[in-house]
Amino acid sequence: MKSLNHFRIIFGSLLLVALALLAYKMVVLSDSIGDFFPEERFTVSYQYFLRTNDETAKIKSFLPKNSARQHINSKDHQQPDDVRFHKLADGNNIKGVWTVPTKNSYKKIDYSFEFQGKSKSYLLPETFKNYNKVNSKYFEETENIQTSNPKIKALANEIASSLTTDRKIITGLFDYVTKIPNEPIITLTDAVSALEQNMASCNGKSRLLVALARHLGYAARLKGGMILNTANTRQSHAWVELYINDQWIPFDTVNNHFAYIPANYLELYENDEFLLTHTAGVNFDYNYSVKKQFNIPFIDASSEEISAIIPLSLLRLLERGILTYKALILLLLLPLGGFIVALLRNVVGLKTFGVFLPVLIAFSLLKTGFFLGITIFLFLIFIIGLISQPFSKLGLLHTPKLVISLTLMVVIIITGSYIGVTTNNAWLGSLSFFPIIILTISAERFSTYILEDGFGKATNMLFQTLIAVSVCYALLSSNILASALIIFPEILLIIVVLSMFLGRYVGLRWSELIRFKPLLNLKTI
Amino acid sequence: MLHKLFKLNNSRGVMGLNQRNIELIYPNNRRKFYQYADDKVKAKQILHSNDIATAKTYAVIDRISDVKKKWASCKDYQSMAVKPANGSGGGGILILRKDQTGLWKNGGKTISETKIQHHITSIVSGFYSMNSQDSCLIEECIVPHPFFAEIYGDGVPDFRIITLKAQPIIGMLRMPTSKSNGKANLHQNGVGIGVDLKNGTLTQTYDGKQYLNCHPDNPEPIYGKPIPYWNELYQLAIDTAKAFPLDYLGIDLVIDADKGPQIMEVNVRPGLGIQLVNKIGMSEAIRQHFRA
Repeated sequence: MKSLNHFRIIFGSLLLVALALLAYKMVVLSDSIGDFFPEERFTVSYQYFLRTNDETAKIKSFLPKNSARQHINSKDHQQPDDVRFHKLADGNNIKGVWTVPTKNSYKKIDYSFEFQGKSKSYLLPETFKNYNKVNSKYFEETENIQTSNPKIKALANEIASSLTTDRKIITGLFDYVTKIPNEPIITLTDAVSALEQNMASCNGKSRLLVALARHLGYAARLKGGMILNTANTRQSHAWVELYINDQWIPFDTVNNHFAYIPANYLELYENDEFLLTHTAGVNFDYNYSVKKQFNIPFIDASSEEISAIIPLSLLRLLERGILTYKALILLLLLPLGGFIVALLRNVVGLKTFGVFLPVLIAFSLLKTGFFLGITIFLFLIFIIGLISQPFSKLGLLHTPKLVISLTLMVVIIITGSYIGVTTNNAWLGSLSFFPIIILTISAERFSTYILEDGFGKATNMLFQTLIAVSVCYALLSSNILASALIIFPEILLIIVVLSMFLGRYVGLRWSELIRFKPLLNLKTI
Repeated sequence: MLHKLFKLNNSRGVMGLNQRNIELIYPNNRRKFYQYADDKVKAKQILHSNDIATAKTYAVIDRISDVKKKWASCKDYQSMAVKPANGSGGGGILILRKDQTGLWKNGGKTISETKIQHHITSIVSGFYSMNSQDSCLIEECIVPHPFFAEIYGDGVPDFRIITLKAQPIIGMLRMPTSKSNGKANLHQNGVGIGVDLKNGTLTQTYDGKQYLNCHPDNPEPIYGKPIPYWNELYQLAIDTAKAFPLDYLGIDLVIDADKGPQIMEVNVRPGLGIQLVNKIGMSEAIRQHFRA
């Protein structure tokens, strides 16, 4: 009775604290809860430096817009007082225009925004619908997109001649252009030059694909933007969009993205334009400063904003660099993984090597990927089991024998990695991604079970461990879960509450339903 | 939903590991007393001091420096069992018998005194206990009563009686088979034979898959076969349970050909396979016992 009251008090108070904290944060964050769920977040800053001479100067650049796969937040522009900034609509694009009226002066201009992006892939139908009200300019020849050039015509017709559906034709054109070697040419390359040189940068290859597509009667346009990665860069990017069944679908022949756009592609403008133009005759320099941000998919606010409005989020640990994101996630997910293993053991009745070993193994797999990781894991376990056999027969004490297994593991990993590096074998090269201690403990447990219960039973247990590993892996690889725990660490209290609940579970385990089947199925006499 | 599913089928009160741990082991066995059952030497001290019939202890060796001296004191016995106090799964046990010429035999093979002393040293060093050290127990060898040979002649059979608050709840006879290599454990191909606690008779045999009316290696039916010394066995289990500060126990007993019922060892976490052997769930067995 007394222990039951104890149980209720602890259970109730933990639940109360956790729910109160959760509720408070939900209320505070309710304005920031987003339904966009971006995969990546970056801050981007255009930085312009210029010195005017005897004339005034203008700088023009495209500014990003929101779309179905990108959200732009907290636009911020800083420039000296005498520099005027205004926005200009230019078709579907938006231009930022900075005017410097002062002669002979040095100016620094900064325009920053936050980008949230999602990747998006499209399925192409075999046959495309007829075009309906598409601007004719998407079919026309331009100076650099020479649709009527004989070489372009010949190539397009040749590729299309043997292909029967729209999708196959687009695939044929895409593959042809993708195979052209990439070359970081800074100067403008037109469609014909790209074809003739059989070598081009993003804009040349993109113009060629547009020219080929337009010649065959497909609506096509260039798309301009940036591939975002943490860096200071001057590099912009161009790709192609084809208008298919009432939507524009992206194709990037430089990075081989067919009807797919990655999450870190910033879209800035459409059509064959220059991202940045400025008055001739001024001394001008520029830089794009890009920085990857911590991403919490369901919160539409930057991490600074979140940690300003809610106490007790763990973002501060990340901001001050006390823990890396990965280390923090590992810490936070460990209890959750432990709970899952407890559930699998006490409710399902799985027998696993140790309690937390499956969680730790699952963590190791995050680095290598699931299937490669499992393969490497099994390979190492078996090979260690095999070569430590002679030592097991010597009748050594437990701890020194463990040291031998550990040493053999290190030797195998180093040898494997060495062979992997020298022969360019990625599989062997990734051996060292596995935490050695975890592997050694697993291998040791495995060989102990072989000695005590025989190979069959030990393998059976290994298999059950792998089931637990898979379940943990599925859980741990969830991005949303990880970031949720960073903002709502009180979920850990709920894990305690759930474990208290599980700790009182007296039902039969699923495995016992099988074990005691003869008794459970017998009807009462 | 899941709960209902269990309840629908579980009219026999089958108990799983979760329930056994929460309802039987935790409330009845305090962890600090586990050692009295887990450690064979400590268990025997309790048995001896309560005058409970068990194999005579010849020597307890817990220091390597004592091995020579203590072995010398045991040399005059005709047979003995050498066991680690904290072994598991029967590992490290040596059964020694002298032949007519005075040489020691272990399972038909001659074994030198040096080898025996080496084995004792291994036990004391903790080789069989996963610890850095252990005690070695040297005790009298039990000679099984002919009753066991009437069913099956080889290996080491024993009775298991589970007691709750010193009341026998459920019991079985564990027998080796031709496939079990002398072992009587159910998961090592031994068989369990149900015991009717009230009448002291055997019931059905369970071999891990199916029920039989006889031992797999002996066609003679065993259902209703009376167990010799049953009342003594039953009382011995009660006395043993009372002697230990543990209220839920699995007690292993044998019948010695000369000395009658003897306690072999006690267990704090007795397994649940006994339910299958007796075709009754633990919850139901407890309910029936305490109602009657």
